[in-house]
Amino acid sequence: MPEELPQPELSARVRRLAQVFTETGLLRLRVERAGETIELGRRARAAAAYSDASANPDGERPRRYDAIKADLVGVFRLSRPAPAEGDVIRADRDLAIVEALGIRNPVRSMGTGRIVRIACKDGEPVEYGQTLFEIDRG
Amino acid sequence: MFRKILIANRGEIALRINRACQELGIRTVAIFSEADRDSPHVRQADEAFCVGPGPVPRSYLSIPNIISTALITGCEAVHPGYGFLAENARFAEICKDHGLVFIGPSPSVIAAMGDKATAKRVMREAGVATTPGSDILDSPAEALVAAREIGYPVLLKATAGGGGKGMRVVERAEDLERAFASATAEGEASFKDGRMYMEKLILNPRHIEVQVLGDEFGHVVHLGERDCSIQKPSHQKLVEEAPAPMLPERTRSALHEMAVRACRYVNYSNAGTLEFLVSGEEIYFMEMNTRIQVEHPVTEMVYGVDLVKEQIRIAAGEELGYEQKDLRSRGHAIECRINAEDARNNFAPAAGTLSKVVFPAGPGIRVDTHVHSGALIPPYYDSMLAKIVAYGDTREEAISRMERALRDTTIEGVNTTVDQCLEILATPEFREGRYHIGFLPSLLAAAAAG
Repeated sequence: MPEELPQPELSARVRRLAQVFTETGLLRLRVERAGETIELGRRARAAAAYSDASANPDGERPRRYDAIKADLVGVFRLSRPAPAEGDVIRADRDLAIVEALGIRNPVRSMGTGRIVRIACKDGEPVEYGQTLFEIDRG
Repeated sequence: MFRKILIANRGEIALRINRACQELGIRTVAIFSEADRDSPHVRQADEAFCVGPGPVPRSYLSIPNIISTALITGCEAVHPGYGFLAENARFAEICKDHGLVFIGPSPSVIAAMGDKATAKRVMREAGVATTPGSDILDSPAEALVAAREIGYPVLLKATAGGGGKGMRVVERAEDLERAFASATAEGEASFKDGRMYMEKLILNPRHIEVQVLGDEFGHVVHLGERDCSIQKPSHQKLVEEAPAPMLPERTRSALHEMAVRACRYVNYSNAGTLEFLVSGEEIYFMEMNTRIQVEHPVTEMVYGVDLVKEQIRIAAGEELGYEQKDLRSRGHAIECRINAEDARNNFAPAAGTLSKVVFPAGPGIRVDTHVHSGALIPPYYDSMLAKIVAYGDTREEAISRMERALRDTTIEGVNTTVDQCLEILATPEFREGRYHIGFLPSLLAAAAAG
């Protein structure tokens, strides 16, 4: 029987792991050590990474943009305070919600980065797979 | 009348519903999966929303995304077509809860008819002849007792079954236990419901079904029968015709009368089909489909009624506006299902790109399809590519038109059932209208034996 960690230490470790987790954009993280298991997971947001070569006419390494896509059909509403194009996201945060059948489904930034484009208007209906935000992960 | 309808389906039936809506002046919203983004049903609707990825459970069965689409686009009604959510009582109920009209009968009727054991009980109460059979069987031991009472051969059936799944023919008591286990497992896997019941196996019956329409005011009419006895070994229909050939008038009238009586008994509203097994003069109710059927065009051709428009009008609260005496069947219609399947290999479905597609035209020919040259057939869905329907003043004329139409059909890129349909049409059994549900399986067995 492994010795149980004191609660404050456990929560600190989870917090540290959560930080790494959100920064990397991982969907699942499992750490096992000395009989202790911490597992973190989140829903896939159908995020697709792609490169925008046009942004680099000088032939530099293409920048890596993530498209954050809707994973359900609903009405797109920006979070308050409303994020804007060019905003730098320093920690994982809610950018918007997709409201469907009265339920507010959060759209998260899935880590840090810079908002390159807000692809939908506030109050606009969105379909499954529709790009909502483009994030420059640097 | 509705101003806007969501079409909760894909393929040819989505186009069929869209056409009916266009003619009625109703705007349409299509739903589609990522695999169907370039499908004609997406282009032809006034609006279209992607509701999920290719696999059916996450798109065409995604009730939250479908309902959400209907609500945010301001639809008043949902047409479910056939398959997918068409006979899902819960979906019909959820539509109602969100203020949407489900174009079909009430959720309670869908639920009652969807449970085959309940449906048979209700039909018996209505005075409709049913196959001798059991209630729900809880164990192989109960099945053994039931089979002894009914008499072998028997048919074990999953109560939620359909399309031949969860069904086993048992000829001897010693085979019953194994068949019970495998049919239960198949029922569980296919329908999440492994409950079983048993029926007497009627040897070599015909599958004849009656089309009905009922409205919210208690009017019920039938639109004659269809013979759907040309079935693959998996019990899926391949060729259908209306009216049923070589059927004694007394039997035909009895079928029509039973169908109307049953609908009145359950207060049926909208389009529905009662399927019967007919053996000699014996008629047995098999099941009721509470939706539009794939083979509805043959009925439309001989009755001159647009069944999908009727469904929409009835759901909008309109009266039928005609009585039985106003309806007359004229001529003969045959439908061949053109599937992307290899008829020589157990009708294995095929997916891929259709390099060339040419469909027939000309007098008496109707083609309901969603495919074209260059179309990609995704692996996720039903293999049906088209329904070719031939109409003639006589059955002979309908057959010769169908043969001409099938020869004029070109589909390259995948195997299809075109040649198999031509082969069926050429047999003396088909030409004489003397065939039963065992006909195609024995034709295939004979071909395999060389």
